[in-house]
Amino acid sequence: MLHKTDSNATWFVVAALGLFFIGGLLTTVVPPLIDKSWGKPFANADPSKGPTGKLVDYTEQEKRGYAIYIREGCKYCHTQQTRTLASDVIRSGWKGVPSPVSTPDEFVYDYRQTFGTKRTGPDLSRIGGKYNKEWHRAHFRNPRDLVPGSIMPPFPWIADNAQELDDLVAYLQTRGRAKDWRPDNDYEK
Amino acid sequence: MAEAVKAIQPGISSTAAVASPEIHHDTTVKWFLLGAVGYFAIVGIIALIIAAKFVWPQFLGTIPYFTYGRMRPLHVNGMLFGWLLAADMGLAYYIVPRLCGVKLWSEKLGIATSILWNIIILSAIVTLLGGYQKGLEYADLPTPVAVLVVIAWVMFGVNIFATIATRKYNQMYVSTWYLMGTILWTAFVYLTGNFATLLPGITGVNQANLTWMYTHNAVGLIFTPAGLAVAYYFIPRASNTPLFSHKLSMVGFWSLAFVYVWTGAHHMIHGPISQWLQTISIVFSIMLLIPVWAVVYNFIATMKGEWHQLSDNVSLKFLMSGTVFYLLTCFQGPMHSLRSVNAIVSKTDWIPGHAHMAVLGTFSFIAMAGVYYVIPRVFKTTLHSEAAANWSFWLFLVGGLGMFTALWLGGFWQGWQWNNPSIPFIDTVVALKPVWMVRFFSGILIFSGIVLFLYNIWSTALGSGKAQAEPVRS
Repeated sequence: MLHKTDSNATWFVVAALGLFFIGGLLTTVVPPLIDKSWGKPFANADPSKGPTGKLVDYTEQEKRGYAIYIREGCKYCHTQQTRTLASDVIRSGWKGVPSPVSTPDEFVYDYRQTFGTKRTGPDLSRIGGKYNKEWHRAHFRNPRDLVPGSIMPPFPWIADNAQELDDLVAYLQTRGRAKDWRPDNDYEK
Repeated sequence: MAEAVKAIQPGISSTAAVASPEIHHDTTVKWFLLGAVGYFAIVGIIALIIAAKFVWPQFLGTIPYFTYGRMRPLHVNGMLFGWLLAADMGLAYYIVPRLCGVKLWSEKLGIATSILWNIIILSAIVTLLGGYQKGLEYADLPTPVAVLVVIAWVMFGVNIFATIATRKYNQMYVSTWYLMGTILWTAFVYLTGNFATLLPGITGVNQANLTWMYTHNAVGLIFTPAGLAVAYYFIPRASNTPLFSHKLSMVGFWSLAFVYVWTGAHHMIHGPISQWLQTISIVFSIMLLIPVWAVVYNFIATMKGEWHQLSDNVSLKFLMSGTVFYLLTCFQGPMHSLRSVNAIVSKTDWIPGHAHMAVLGTFSFIAMAGVYYVIPRVFKTTLHSEAAANWSFWLFLVGGLGMFTALWLGGFWQGWQWNNPSIPFIDTVVALKPVWMVRFFSGILIFSGIVLFLYNIWSTALGSGKAQAEPVRS
């Protein structure tokens, strides 16, 4: 059959698109129909079934901060996924408490996925509640003042803009908070 | 069958396409290629700046437009669409009419496409530096610009398909298939990554899965088939040797058509995406070795007994080192998808090393070979300087190897450190500084190669009005 495609363009188009669509549809349209956790927000009240908590939609302020995160391309250096690797779980943890692994149902309200491909800076999937606003202000003004050796660019136009700083920090504080994973509940605001 | 196959091969100088070279106007080819080479240099400056930012993080750091997070998508989109895709399109406008034995269907439509393409690239520069990026990798262009890309692609596709429909030779050569495949697949892959991802209700992991389908296939089903079309045309042409096997090229093409699209989820191995989908992507990633082996074997076997031609033929140098990089990068890809290897290299600097070997080492090398071959022919002159072309090759090769190996070794070491959580993260950043320094200096070599390439191609084009000794025959 494929020999016909050698001299017949119509046959060619049918075969090239046909083969492409088998894999194309099975790997894009079908998976969310099979795995419901892709579209159902995380909610768990039963500690015996793992971390408890509930994913809620973003507030208007958090949405504005989210847009700043996209605008500045933060995702090009920061991933947002605690993978199923022992080292990721420890690195995303806090004060000796390991973090839960990221699951699809924690990202249901993310209108722009921020999983990222490159980890030049640390992962931010559990950054929510680790640092307060004053820390973030100083860090955005010059990251090297707080973390010597850091190569993060300074963002003075955010640090010096009260509105943008509030919005961005509000967004960052949501990261990983759907799951109540710190036993002391010592989250910074 | 065997005779027919021979007749359509570009390497054999008795074909009708060569007998009547004057039927081709090639205005579209000139516009696309000269623009692409210009953007290669402009975006090359951006590339150097972001490489410098890894070593000197304060460099241009306090101006919003020049911050890393805005220049990085400009670097990626500028190289992919401004340089590489534009160069491949320009070469397609050259190759297809010749393989079909007819004029390009519409030179006017071609020129209009080129003008629209320039508008797209200039809008990309303004919008991305302005922070209007969409926030999806490779699909960073804001939606209005992405709509223009779709329009330009339809204009390109109509022109190429209409040329193929009026062809004189019934049988189609492998380059024609690959270009038709590129046009068809790109249409759907691009729509998936730029528009399906924005449909209401498409969020989080679902959106990421569509993004990876696009990002992965932007390389696998846009730049791979376009680049292979160019290589399948110019390897026999530049060496004046017939292609080793028509049948093997069919195996390569149809296995690529079937296998590539399944592999998107391998970008999220160990991540928050269904395990069974990760496993499917791993299985198909391993199967990618089939089309790669078929293509590389065909290219290498074509050159059997002809390797001595490399010494004084710059296009062949680029083509064959591109082939070797293709084999390497496509061996890395399937290996990365294995869960154990992925746990070390994923998200590290290894990955840009791998990506640059594919897009720069393989497909840009192949496109440059095509540009060096085509420009003197369409301007009916000789190349401005063979020596400068040879220098550009060595600068690209040495700079490229320096960058790839630095990033692989550095990335592997980085991943090794990450997997030991007793090492603080910041220490793994500081440890990579020498690697980023090597990358920056390799970048200077690569950029010098780009400048020589630009100078040579534009001088050839601008100087073509003057009397030149013995123009090369197309």
